[in-house]
Amino acid sequence: MKIFVIGAGQVGFTIVDALHAHHEITVLDTEPSRLRAISERYDVATFEGDGTSQRDLAAAGIKTADLVIACTSRDEANLVAGMFSRREAKHATTVIRTSNVEYVELWHAGQLDVDFVVSSELETAHAISRIIGVPAARQTDVFAEGQVQIVEFDVTEGASPAIAGLPLRRAEVPDDSKVAAIIRGDDLSFPGGDDEIHPGDRIVVIGSPQAAQAWSTLLAPKGASVRDVVIFGGGRVGTAIARVLLDQGIGVRVIEASREQARRVAESLPKASVYNATGIDPDFLERERIGQAQAAIFAMKDDAKNLYAASLVEVHGVPFTVGIAHEPISVEAFEHAGIDVSVNPRAVTAEEIIRFAHDPRTRQVSMLEGNQYEVLDVTTRPTSSYAGQRFRDMPIRGALIGALVRNGTAIFPHGDDVLEAGDRVILFTRSADAQRVVEAL
Amino acid sequence: MTDAPAGRIRPIGKRRRAAVDLRATTHVVATLVLYLSPSTLLPTAVAIGYGERFWHFLAAGAIAAGLGWAVARRTADADPIGTREGYLVVALTWLFVAFYGAIPYLLSGEGQLDRPVDALFESMSGFTTTGASLLTDVESLDRSLLIWRAETQWLGGMGIIVLVLAVLPRLRVGGRQLLESELPGPEMESLGARIRQTAQRLWIVYVAITLLEIALLAILGFTGIDEQMDIFRAVAHAFTTLPSGGFSTEALSIEAFSATTQWVIAFFILVAGTNFALTYRALLRRDPRVFPRDEEFRLYVGILLVASVVLTVELWAEGVFAGEAAVRNAVFQTLTIVTSTGYSTTNWDAWPVLAVITLVGLMFIGGSAGSTSGGVKVVRHLLMGKILRRELRQTVHPELVSPIRFNSAPVDERTLRAVGSFVLMYIGVFIVGALLIAFDAARVNMDLSAIDIVAVAASAAGNIGPALGPAGPYGNFESFSDFSTVVLILLMWIGRLELLPVLVLLTRSYWRTW
Repeated sequence: MKIFVIGAGQVGFTIVDALHAHHEITVLDTEPSRLRAISERYDVATFEGDGTSQRDLAAAGIKTADLVIACTSRDEANLVAGMFSRREAKHATTVIRTSNVEYVELWHAGQLDVDFVVSSELETAHAISRIIGVPAARQTDVFAEGQVQIVEFDVTEGASPAIAGLPLRRAEVPDDSKVAAIIRGDDLSFPGGDDEIHPGDRIVVIGSPQAAQAWSTLLAPKGASVRDVVIFGGGRVGTAIARVLLDQGIGVRVIEASREQARRVAESLPKASVYNATGIDPDFLERERIGQAQAAIFAMKDDAKNLYAASLVEVHGVPFTVGIAHEPISVEAFEHAGIDVSVNPRAVTAEEIIRFAHDPRTRQVSMLEGNQYEVLDVTTRPTSSYAGQRFRDMPIRGALIGALVRNGTAIFPHGDDVLEAGDRVILFTRSADAQRVVEAL
Repeated sequence: MTDAPAGRIRPIGKRRRAAVDLRATTHVVATLVLYLSPSTLLPTAVAIGYGERFWHFLAAGAIAAGLGWAVARRTADADPIGTREGYLVVALTWLFVAFYGAIPYLLSGEGQLDRPVDALFESMSGFTTTGASLLTDVESLDRSLLIWRAETQWLGGMGIIVLVLAVLPRLRVGGRQLLESELPGPEMESLGARIRQTAQRLWIVYVAITLLEIALLAILGFTGIDEQMDIFRAVAHAFTTLPSGGFSTEALSIEAFSATTQWVIAFFILVAGTNFALTYRALLRRDPRVFPRDEEFRLYVGILLVASVVLTVELWAEGVFAGEAAVRNAVFQTLTIVTSTGYSTTNWDAWPVLAVITLVGLMFIGGSAGSTSGGVKVVRHLLMGKILRRELRQTVHPELVSPIRFNSAPVDERTLRAVGSFVLMYIGVFIVGALLIAFDAARVNMDLSAIDIVAVAASAAGNIGPALGPAGPYGNFESFSDFSTVVLILLMWIGRLELLPVLVLLTRSYWRTW
């Protein structure tokens, strides 16, 4: 595939690193030194030019590209580059990086003429919500920009009688969710309405983030739910994390040192408690009983500060710490120093973008149960024989459609809903059957 | 070099402008008075229709028009007024309009209003939509004078400057600030891109609802459901319901009418105390859900419901009323006091103490912002409650940043400060007023109890009207001395303008540049 990468920063570097072996890559940047650095490391073509200049893009040969990735650190530059490449390379898939969640929302609403918008802040927030978002979960994965979650739960003795020990058709299954699989011993089955969930089982659920949260409360009613997460730093990353966690019903406290920024955060997140404090004042930490929090996330701009605050908070007794590491090297430093999980926003963004370079129809693959099962995100072909059929009439065996993404919005289909050509289908299947199922769609 | 737009940019150094440009202020005030002078044509027509004397109305109109025109012409070269002059314009306009409104009473030869102070009181009570009266015998007044009383309330209800901005082509003012100081409530809600549009829309709703009430009341009269009601009384009462005014043509106020009429008027009082911008939206979109969506409206209705229930229980338990009469009188009195209308359907002065104290407590609430009612206003109580709750939270969590929201939008801290200081200033003005009346009562040996004085001061500052004791629903303000009358005139004036435009004039820094 011919891939065109605009922007040779950290994100661009990571993308090139992952893709250069199998694809033909051209990197465009205004800064010769960065291009030199990238061409010394990898076998890629470089072009010194401006991604916002139509002339430069044409001269660099964007016409023949199959995939255009605009990943400079400037939103507007990426938008303009995405727009021009749409004009110049009519058949290419365009992916742009943004740090503004509003652009992601615009794209969902179909207002941005690019194929995909990836936001560092949102990807980071989703990565973190995967880590702490759903208690009682063994494994979590997100699809469709966080609108769909696949969660694997252990069913314990404490599970609610509204769900366990009842045929599924009578159980109080949370809205917008489906039980994709029941794992009993070594045996995995795709359940029907007559099947029951019992303590000791493991189940795989596909649903909205709210539904995943509801499942978590049903399966582990007491104690396991996350109520209190403290986020240090109310910048763009911190705010995005807070919003995603709040949407899942998790209580969030945000600590922000700048008075104006704290006010902005408090205005945009009515449900969060926002404090105007540095976060490294022991009196404050003590007074607000920060040590009581179940998890703390460090999303301040300065890695060193994040590290220091995390050490301090660990001393106060927070059991789980997550650090945002802006510099790649900080990931290692954080983990050495005892921060439980470190997330590098640029690496997360690059990983998300790299997924687009795989099969153009299959967007995302996630493995469950030691690669025996896969969750696929597949776009229905216009010629698919399933298009136009009702879900209850589909003869698919050995696979389960958990959700659809139509016009950027996730839908959790019922039996009477109809599959349309162009729908993105999020389905759960045996790895052995994956190829067959994808071809059928 | 291009030419600067005329009248926008003043050449530097042409002339030094005083801290407050009195010439510009005078020009605008005179123009406003001139524009309002045709308002005496209505009572003139009524007088001619009923065969009453009418020259005093024409004379008042002519005096206002003549003086307004002459002064406006002499000051025609004045600069446009700025923000600072705005306060003075509003304060003076309302004062001069009250003077103008007093002229027909003085010239009419009506014995009850032949003293200038008394006439000014009646006029100020009219324009500020207070509804307090000095008349000992309302029913003996000429019908044309009764209509003039009602018309002053109707004009003052939505605001006389709002009216001028809505109807007349060009006033040399920016508008917004003038409107804000005249419209009740902490912040003005725009109903259009232009100030003029907002003013017009408010007046359209106001006129439409007034016409509706006239029609309904007239129907009650024609169909014989209410023997007492006729077209004259329908107009006179619609004119004083919607501005939450309270002047009546009857000595017994609304008690003179049937129960059905009382319920109909109660409904229109409820509308008068509701934000007109909300009513406009509901009518325009044909969507009544704008009401329950508004936080202030919910609290407004909640207060009315709770207060009505409490009063019903008190009246029923004490044996004053029973059955429908208890509910009706409780609801009506609650509405009329909370919205600062000042009608009555019973003599609450004779009520048991508990019910009386409940009513006096309600005097401090006021209707909604953007309505025609006076007093503190529900939205200020709502915001004060939120401010206090935040204070309590911040006592425990000093670093907590917690923006206060109203209808889910964050409220500016400056606005919150203004709300806090308004409530404090309101209490201050009320206390000073009450002390002055108490002092005067002692001076002239007038028989007023402590609760009477509290009610009289609260009623005047809140533009309600009747109070307790001699000034109760069956009484009048005739027995107050001239000194107390002037205090009450000032209280009504300050209260109607929501304190700020008047109180700011009392600060030294208003008149100076340093």
